[in-house]
Amino acid sequence: MNKLNRRDFIKNTTIATASVTTIASGISLTTFAAKSKESAPVTNEKRWGMLINVNKLTESSIDDMIDACQEENGWGSEVHSRAEQKPDWIKKVKVKDKATGKIDVLPMLCQHCEQPPCVDVCPTNASMKREDGIVLVDRHLCIGCRYCMMACPYGSRSFVHENLDNQKTHMPRGKGTVESCTLCVHRVDKGEIPACVEAVGGDGVIFGDLYDANSKINQTLKKIQSTQIRSDLNLNTGVRYSGI
Amino acid sequence: MKHLLTIFLIAISVSMSVQIHADNRIPNLGDKANKCKDDECKEVHKLPNISRTQSLVIQRKMHPEFLLHKRDRTLRQGVRGGRASLAKCVNCHTSVDKNGEYIPVNAPQQFCSTCHKQVGTSMDCFSCHRTTPAEDM
Repeated sequence: MNKLNRRDFIKNTTIATASVTTIASGISLTTFAAKSKESAPVTNEKRWGMLINVNKLTESSIDDMIDACQEENGWGSEVHSRAEQKPDWIKKVKVKDKATGKIDVLPMLCQHCEQPPCVDVCPTNASMKREDGIVLVDRHLCIGCRYCMMACPYGSRSFVHENLDNQKTHMPRGKGTVESCTLCVHRVDKGEIPACVEAVGGDGVIFGDLYDANSKINQTLKKIQSTQIRSDLNLNTGVRYSGI
Repeated sequence: MKHLLTIFLIAISVSMSVQIHADNRIPNLGDKANKCKDDECKEVHKLPNISRTQSLVIQRKMHPEFLLHKRDRTLRQGVRGGRASLAKCVNCHTSVDKNGEYIPVNAPQQFCSTCHKQVGTSMDCFSCHRTTPAEDM
């Protein structure tokens, strides 16, 4: 029998241990490096916005927008909530000029402010603004304090009051968290337009990149007079209105 | 002495593989995962440069980290696609009942709850996330 002396034994064991360590560290390295076909993070080179031409919208087309939003994001079928508790991601608002009696009906949704008050007041950083200007609620962090609902000048946030099931895969929603219009972020990331914009069609609602000089929204905003609701608050909203 | 060393190393590797297989105590993988036979399906959890079995062990141990990391990148940075996806987990690991309806993946005796009940940890994923595959998947 070929005798192995003490020195050789130590040498062999060291080599074996070293190789095991190398492989093991390789495992953790490749684990964290493993990612396939991920899209790049969004940047502030874009700012998504929406231009709503109130003159081109009728009450029924606003109802179509609401239906499309409900269908796309799966809200509106809450059974245990009272009327004032039900979610309103987008709603129909009537404004009346007291002097002339002129009535405008407009869709009201999250205005995706550049300086969002909901983000300022959030104690857990759940209310957040993406680099491309879309304001969202991170439900993983939301504790349901509803400060953001108080802070929002547009009343566009809702609180989920009941247990839900059968949510849409792309739009998780649950009891105890606040929610609002996401500008259909799951569609925008795929290069599509929000469901409400698609539902109206034509020039009634234009969606696009406010910063892109070639985009339709940018060119239209340069040409026509538009307004931001509560522009006195200097929030620089992403959703603009014309015809009011 | 050299034989002794060989036997020692073999014993270590055998005990490691036994440990790997002893970890395999998931009774309900879900219908689609149970029927999985083709290579593409078997490679779902495969990590580069590691064997399929070892990849599965890592997947079992580290799935919360994978999902946690991905959820922040998706929600806050808009990173879509990639390996980790809760929707993909649900898609393969749900079962169908006698009436042909999907059973929620977090229901008792289903994929998520078997292990989570055993180790006494509660999941909060499915108070918001969908528990069955989407209709169009």
